[in-house]
Amino acid sequence: MARSAKAVPWFLFAAGGTVLSFILPVMIFTTGIAPALGLFTDALSYDTMSAFVGNWLVKLVLFGILTLACWHAAHRLRVCAHDFGIRADTAVAVILYGLATVGTATAALALVSI
Amino acid sequence: MNPRKPYVRPISKTSWFMTQSRYKVYMLHEISSLFVAIYSAILIIGLVRLGEGEAAWQGWLDAVTSPIGVIFHLIAFVFALIHTTSWFKAVPQAMRIQRGEEIVPGKLIVGAHYGVLAAVSLFVLILAGVA
Amino acid sequence: MSERTIELEVLRYRPEQDQEPFFQTYKVPCEEEWVVLDALNYVKEEMDRTLSYRWSCHMFVCGSCGMMIDGEPKLACKAFLKDYPTGKIRVEPLSNFPIERDLVVVLDDFVEKLESVKPYIIPKEERTVEQGEYLQTPAQLKAFKQYTLCINCLCCYAVCPQYGLDESFVGPAALALAHRYNMDSRDLGRAARDDVVAAAEGIWHCSFVGACSQVCPKDVDPAGAIQQAKFAHGIDYLTSFLPGGKR
Ligand code: SF4
Ligand code: SF4
Ligand code: FES
Repeated sequence: MARSAKAVPWFLFAAGGTVLSFILPVMIFTTGIAPALGLFTDALSYDTMSAFVGNWLVKLVLFGILTLACWHAAHRLRVCAHDFGIRADTAVAVILYGLATVGTATAALALVSI
Repeated sequence: MNPRKPYVRPISKTSWFMTQSRYKVYMLHEISSLFVAIYSAILIIGLVRLGEGEAAWQGWLDAVTSPIGVIFHLIAFVFALIHTTSWFKAVPQAMRIQRGEEIVPGKLIVGAHYGVLAAVSLFVLILAGVA
Repeated sequence: MSERTIELEVLRYRPEQDQEPFFQTYKVPCEEEWVVLDALNYVKEEMDRTLSYRWSCHMFVCGSCGMMIDGEPKLACKAFLKDYPTGKIRVEPLSNFPIERDLVVVLDDFVEKLESVKPYIIPKEERTVEQGEYLQTPAQLKAFKQYTLCINCLCCYAVCPQYGLDESFVGPAALALAHRYNMDSRDLGRAARDDVVAAAEGIWHCSFVGACSQVCPKDVDPAGAIQQAKFAHGIDYLTSFLPGGKR
């Protein structure tokens, strides 16, 4: 047997899981449920949002959360695939970590261009 | 002749988790990641739309408040709570804190996590309500 | 003392004559305070001498009587009949292991894994007898004490889905024991155990189902030990790429 490089995605998974456990419920409520209830209409208006996300500190925090969320989900879905009986682990890993990379890059580009 | 003839009981690779309730609970935790992935994608698309201008952003908001959008977010919210509670429950196992000869009780660690959860949630809500 | 008849459904397998296991039911007159092991002993002595199973201490220390009792891996000597009010108890050999005969499972795979994690102290410094003993404070002992309590009953392996699905996984008890030595202040063997413990088949194969810790009769918490080991070995892995890091 030999030492495995799985430490790297595992740290991203664990860090992501920790951050998400604190922030995810309130985030989903704010951006996904509150608008339908007619709450936070000012905060979610185009002007306020662009000014808010225009702040570099907000950009940084959002980038951190989204990156960790992507990699957390990718790694856990890889385990899920295994648990559902899909044994093509390398292919699954390439696809899921690839998607996480795309997500990270898109988030970075979008944040920079606001 | 070798009298040994070990018998291996078969296990289904695709439905093993239905055999015990603790496995079903585990799979529920794992599946939360699917909703994390979709929600992250929705947020990233939202940021792209925000950069594209007011009309694009409004389009994204309309999609979020559409029936499908609302149903998705409600389910995702439930899975977020499942993630949070199961994650907190496991923290004392993964992170053992020792002070001298005593191991800090798990209840204390979990309680502190719920405290931070409340503070973070309140902060975001105030930010959204006031900003 | 009152008596109660228990219907014991035992999974039987006699390799010299059976193609596959089958359930045999024994109606056993039991005393109120008996455990499942007492009922098995009664069967063996009074009803059917061909029944095979392992046991030794009858007091939860030897770890040889682990078996599935109503689907849960338990020590037969710690499973009290009064906790089974229906009077019907199903007894099977530990899941995830091949059946050697009746309730006896093949342990070879586990023993190999146990040896592979080097479950002994690899000292920081060799000391001669004249230099005296290796000293350890109570706090240093506390850091690993919990992980020394394992009795190798294999209940954790019987419930670990990852071991059941892929027996290349080193598994809960062996990895918890590796952690026990890694956490010992007298030990300097983490790097020597790295090859097995931090391999894909080692700690990284565990997906933290946590089932092992739920069934452990000794509260060893192998699941927790493995997550802590992931952190420690993970840091080792990352720092090995820094200048001066050990590759
Ligand atoms: S860790 Fe617990 S369940 Fe596993 S072999 Fe040791 S004592 Fe038994
Ligand atoms: S926590 Fe790890 S070792 Fe324990 S049952 Fe789950 S997968 Fe197996
Ligand atoms: S007989 Fe020794 S642990 Fe049960």
